[in-house]
Amino acid sequence: MSDIDSQTVCVLNSADLPVGGRCTVQAFGDEVALFNVVGEVFAIANPCPHAGGPLCYGTVDGAPLPSDAYEYVWGRENRILTCPWHGWQFDLETGEALFDPLVTVATYRVMIRAGEICLSER
Amino acid sequence: MIDCDVHHNFSSLGDLTPWLDPTWRRYIEEGGYEGFTLPSYPYVHPSGFFMGDSIPSSGARPGSDFEQMKRQLLDTWEIEYAVLNGEDILNISSIPNRQLGRALAHAYNRWTLEEWTPRDPRLRASIVVNVEDPDLAAEEIRVLAGESGVVQVLVPTGAQRGYGDPFYRPLFRAAAECGLPVAMHAGADGVGHNPPPTGAGYPHFYIEYHTLIFSSAMAHLVSLISHGVFDELPELRFVLLETGLAWLPGVLWRLDANWKALRMEVPWIKRPPSETVRRQVRFTTQPLEQPAHVGKLRQLLDVVDGMDEMMLFATDYPHWDVDVPTAIERKLPDGWAPKVLSENARDLYGLPVMSTAAAGRT
Repeated sequence: MSDIDSQTVCVLNSADLPVGGRCTVQAFGDEVALFNVVGEVFAIANPCPHAGGPLCYGTVDGAPLPSDAYEYVWGRENRILTCPWHGWQFDLETGEALFDPLVTVATYRVMIRAGEICLSER
Repeated sequence: MIDCDVHHNFSSLGDLTPWLDPTWRRYIEEGGYEGFTLPSYPYVHPSGFFMGDSIPSSGARPGSDFEQMKRQLLDTWEIEYAVLNGEDILNISSIPNRQLGRALAHAYNRWTLEEWTPRDPRLRASIVVNVEDPDLAAEEIRVLAGESGVVQVLVPTGAQRGYGDPFYRPLFRAAAECGLPVAMHAGADGVGHNPPPTGAGYPHFYIEYHTLIFSSAMAHLVSLISHGVFDELPELRFVLLETGLAWLPGVLWRLDANWKALRMEVPWIKRPPSETVRRQVRFTTQPLEQPAHVGKLRQLLDVVDGMDEMMLFATDYPHWDVDVPTAIERKLPDGWAPKVLSENARDLYGLPVMSTAAAGRT
């Protein structure tokens, strides 16, 4: 891990996180889960705020969006992370839980600098 | 005080004949062995379902004598309003013949609105419908909603499906459109063509049945929420009658937690179920649970946010497990009594404050 400036830390060589890959790194005193989703890297605090489940093992796909009764409207493809323990779902970009946007998990800004994945706090 | 669960009754189905057409009059008078009777419970209370002193001196059925009800309930306890919920008629949805069910429900409603509510300004009525014929039930609701004295639609916990099932939606839509709460009274479980009273089938004993009287009520409440009925019909108010209260915190906790994990299955549920219940569901007090230390019940009631505004006082007169007002009042957390005994029901049913003189008390 190398520092670029006081707010940004570089945590991994981007070649070590291929498309579809995931891992955890230490940054800002927390364990952070990294996901390479179709070439775009997302960083989200690893412990689920519900019961501490390891989000890095969660499924990344879409979810049924709020709808009228008996309608299933699939959306946010490749942006919804489902906790592997109890199924809480979070938007990878905002960290907001789908059931309540006031319930959040921390997400980090991701930059690729000189072949390294670098994070800064939002 | 507003008593939200009072059981008046006919002395026999024959009382309804003035409102039945000749076909059904003949059917109930001459059909079967000695006339048609509604299906009844497979359980009996070993010393009778009624308060021993509620049996009229004439020997008529408890709840069938208005003067006795007036003396024993309305005057003695200074009841401001009493909501009449009938007795045997709760089983009307348990008979397979829908046309007969509709005819009897309508005759019962007319009998209540012509022979009971006009007798005393304190009386209000639930109208009954055959829930297993939701289109005709909706029609009956629309026909009677504007009648003087009608405050809600009564349905039993005993039903062939959970009430969230779209099958029943016409009934709920009609009630919501007409501004009438739907009140679900414990009963008719395991009666006629209904499913058994518990998930473990038919218990042997009445003590089992009565202890578990809330089991299908819980299922209906969870069904209504999961199917999004309260979201579709934000004006709908739903009342649970005689289904107890102590189970509520646990069910709401489970439902809220499951919704967070399982919302992908029901994405139309957009707010925590407990909030929906707080906004749209009410619960009558009787039979209020009876722990050895009443303080523990107060603590339990206080666990549910907004519970002080969700509870409606009810005696269940003239049943054996009647709750008299003094017994309820001392079980409530401080400051709850005015709301629970009167104001919550006044808000729900839009009942004006009635002066003693207007009530015609002597």
